[in-house]
Amino acid sequence: MAYNKPIPDPDPYTTQPFWDGAKAGKLMLPRCTNCNRAHFYPRMICPHCYSRQIEWFEASGEGWIHTFAVQHRAFGGWADDVPFVTAYIDLKEGDRMFTVLRGVDAAKPETIKVGASVKIEFEEASETVSIPFWRVV
Amino acid sequence: MPSNPSMSAAIVGAAESDQIGYIEEGTTDQILHIQAISNVCAQVGISPSEIEGIFSVGYSTNIAEYLGLHPKYIDTTGVGGCSFQMHVHHAMAAINAGIIDIAVVSHGESGYSGGRKNRGRGRNRGAGGSDPWQPASMFADPYGAAGAPSNYSHAMTRHMHNYGTSHKDFAQIAVTTRDWATLNPRAVMHSKETNPYGGKITIDDVENSRLISWPLHLLDCCLVTDHGGAVIVASAERARSFKTKPVWIAGAAESMSHQNMMEMDDFTRTSAPESSLAAYKMAGMGPREMEMAMIYDSFTITAAITAEMLGLAKRGEGPSLWEGGKAGPGGSGIPVNTNGGGLSFSHSGMYGMMLLVEAYRQLSGTAEDGVHGLPGKQTNAKTAIVNGTGGSLSVTGTLVLVADD
Ligand SMILES: [Zn+2]
Repeated sequence: MAYNKPIPDPDPYTTQPFWDGAKAGKLMLPRCTNCNRAHFYPRMICPHCYSRQIEWFEASGEGWIHTFAVQHRAFGGWADDVPFVTAYIDLKEGDRMFTVLRGVDAAKPETIKVGASVKIEFEEASETVSIPFWRVV
Repeated sequence: MPSNPSMSAAIVGAAESDQIGYIEEGTTDQILHIQAISNVCAQVGISPSEIEGIFSVGYSTNIAEYLGLHPKYIDTTGVGGCSFQMHVHHAMAAINAGIIDIAVVSHGESGYSGGRKNRGRGRNRGAGGSDPWQPASMFADPYGAAGAPSNYSHAMTRHMHNYGTSHKDFAQIAVTTRDWATLNPRAVMHSKETNPYGGKITIDDVENSRLISWPLHLLDCCLVTDHGGAVIVASAERARSFKTKPVWIAGAAESMSHQNMMEMDDFTRTSAPESSLAAYKMAGMGPREMEMAMIYDSFTITAAITAEMLGLAKRGEGPSLWEGGKAGPGGSGIPVNTNGGGLSFSHSGMYGMMLLVEAYRQLSGTAEDGVHGLPGKQTNAKTAIVNGTGGSLSVTGTLVLVADD
């Protein structure tokens, strides 16, 4: 079945390496070569030291749940999936991503733990775009 | 070194549109703006032609054109529900700089009628806006979050994790706020007569209401109504020359921490400590001197965190401000959200104007006569802290208001 949820329209200027990585099943993150800190979402300037020397590297794809919620109301393709769990993920390399969490029971939020370890996976949404999701390990 | 702008301007009137709430015959943003401005000018005793500065969320040139005005100061700050606290801050700054003497801050938002009109057209969906290359569009919208409740719920989960709070603690906020609404005939949830779901509620009602975005239940969430409101801000020189009493702007400040929730560093902290500390400092007062509080309650979690940020409750203990009905009618604490709040009075999408109108009414004495002839004097407070939160717990504006002596 065709992917029926919102598919990002990647901007070609700043974020293309992220989407190229996702297509290849890799989490690519931007890192500043001046202060050596990674950041997300991708920027053309380091938000920590304002250097414009940014490189991309393959991250571990590991992280932890910072916080989460169970969505009981949604629109479009997501309406078919309620209830589902959204979460903010603390990346091992630093900074944070939003996601729909996999490997959890949305009917039992008390069993989902802040701080639980998660790993990234990618779903092919179109010929050009794969979307990252995180799964509790 | 510029002088402290404290008390250089005052709010001299505050009014609503002719109708607020669920306007079944429909309305528009323009109608709500113009009715509110017309009503506040009548209340203050000025002609709209005397307005020199216009402050609104993106609507100032429409208002000016509609009324045939040629303002000297035009501000369209739109940063979410707290924009109106900032408009007052900005109007005070413009007055203190000597550029204008009389400003209107106006709000018109057909959150209910407009939402119905645009149903199926994708309006008010998600947080990303229309630019597909905005970070939120690329990195948040793919994940099915459906507007403010789906974001704010994450903050409540983290508050519960950090501080051991429970949903029951937050439910008390909705119950107490509803108690205030039952005393306000203009409140959507005043009674069974105003709405089938109106009238008093219990903690069990909140806990048993349907889940919107766990841990947020329906009764943790604000209404989505039609609402117009306007206040007039005037210079100290002019403030006592109107039909109405001034309420003085003793302190005003604004701050922000992020735009997108993925950039929110601490999910249990807004920028309100920064905006309130600056406002308290300007006013030469602190939280202990605040005799009432108008706190943006988009959700129970918003109100709880903000109580902590303003110094009205200890960190992690925000709900304690409402515990056992302390902040409610006849309670032992300071009165909070005496109009019934965004939870039970009215909330059109951006609630900051309702905070201003109610604070003015309580501090000016106009609540005794009542806006539109309705009573509503709930407190003898002479000072108020007014804090708006906008975006995804992103931006805050704080005012310290003081009654005329
Ligand atoms: Zn750097």
